[in-house]
Amino acid sequence: MPNRERSLSSADVGHPAGPTADDLLPLVARGDEHAFERLYDVVSGSVFGLIRRVLRDQAQSEEVFQEVMLEVWRTATRFDPGRGSANTWIMTLTHRRAVDRVRSAQAASHREEHAARLDPARPFDEVSEQVSGRFEQRQVRRCLSFLTDLQRESVLLAYYQGYSYPEVASLLGLPLGTVKTRMRDGLIRLRDCMGVTG
Amino acid sequence: MRTTSVDLHTLTGAYAVNALSDTERTAFETHLARCESCATEVAELAATATRLGAAVDFPPPPHLRARVLAAAAETRQLSPHTPRLPRTRGWGRAGGLLAAACLVAVAFVAVQGTQSDRDQLAQLSSQYSRFSDLLSTPDARLVSASGPNGSTATAVVSVSRNELLFVSKDMPAPPADHVYQLWLIDADGPHSAGLLAPPSAPLVATGLSNARKVAITVEPQGGSQVPTGDALMEIALA
Repeated sequence: MPNRERSLSSADVGHPAGPTADDLLPLVARGDEHAFERLYDVVSGSVFGLIRRVLRDQAQSEEVFQEVMLEVWRTATRFDPGRGSANTWIMTLTHRRAVDRVRSAQAASHREEHAARLDPARPFDEVSEQVSGRFEQRQVRRCLSFLTDLQRESVLLAYYQGYSYPEVASLLGLPLGTVKTRMRDGLIRLRDCMGVTG
Repeated sequence: MRTTSVDLHTLTGAYAVNALSDTERTAFETHLARCESCATEVAELAATATRLGAAVDFPPPPHLRARVLAAAAETRQLSPHTPRLPRTRGWGRAGGLLAAACLVAVAFVAVQGTQSDRDQLAQLSSQYSRFSDLLSTPDARLVSASGPNGSTATAVVSVSRNELLFVSKDMPAPPADHVYQLWLIDADGPHSAGLLAPPSAPLVATGLSNARKVAITVEPQGGSQVPTGDALMEIALA
């Protein structure tokens, strides 16, 4: 447990010395608007960055971002610290909402075209460009380099592009079962490299 | 059955990066509720994925801050989950429902037959309480039908809870790379109620609305958005 708390606060980007999402979310659950304001400052960069990375479109990203932040406020009462960190809870919610938007009917028509243009190596290159100074980002980049190409592409196409595993399988020309196991193996390798404990 | 459990276990990664279809996600979450080691792995892999998210952080436009805070100030928060209150049980109409409860219990034992771990049993009983809750709802009704090769299916329907519990018995294994999918059929057509993986696993479907019947089809692994095969079994609800 002490380990977990340490890793959580280091994952709290931007405000390593201030209150963490784990400190603030229980206060938000009790209706504390001031705590929500501080939580906004702690997590909004990660939340918006991930949505923007998945959706790419600025206007849609802003819309989904506001929905996600409001859902964090609304459902904070259901957060269970026994099942993971506040950061993970918020980012899991964020990713799900971003992907829901990607998979919604309106977006469907653009997707095939987009998938056809996609160079599978791109997600990692873009991460490589974007990860610059901070320790956490350097660590992500370093750990990604320890994955096999297929593990890395499977994980990043799903996470950053919002593709389902059958879509990833079709892009990479691999059987479904192979993609499933590559995603799991890749994440396990990342987990071990980053020392994530849940 | 062992194979199915192993198959589901390899979905932890795809689940953590949200790469499953809705139906497959529902099936996996049912599995998660009774697989302690899967839940631990999912928590760790979700925390790992979170690091990938934090690595691409980017500040939102500053004007959104005031807008979000103002919207929160005007939004009521969900009530927290609370422990269930004691219920009054409808012992009087128990015959068919008790039979259904036994069927569910048998299905559970069958599903769990390969695992004898005590933690699993604890998980099992907490999952079971959800079914017994449904069975003890005052308006719960029992409907059943028979299917191929002497298999049977039973559904417990509660309109007040807007829930349906479906459990089958003696269903043959689906063809390789295929899965049984349950559908709720209303005036608009079929809506997926989830995957039966393994076939004897009980399934709770919510959102009955005006469903008139439930049906089972064989679908490719992962399930389908709309049924692609003929109904193997149908149960009229009305």
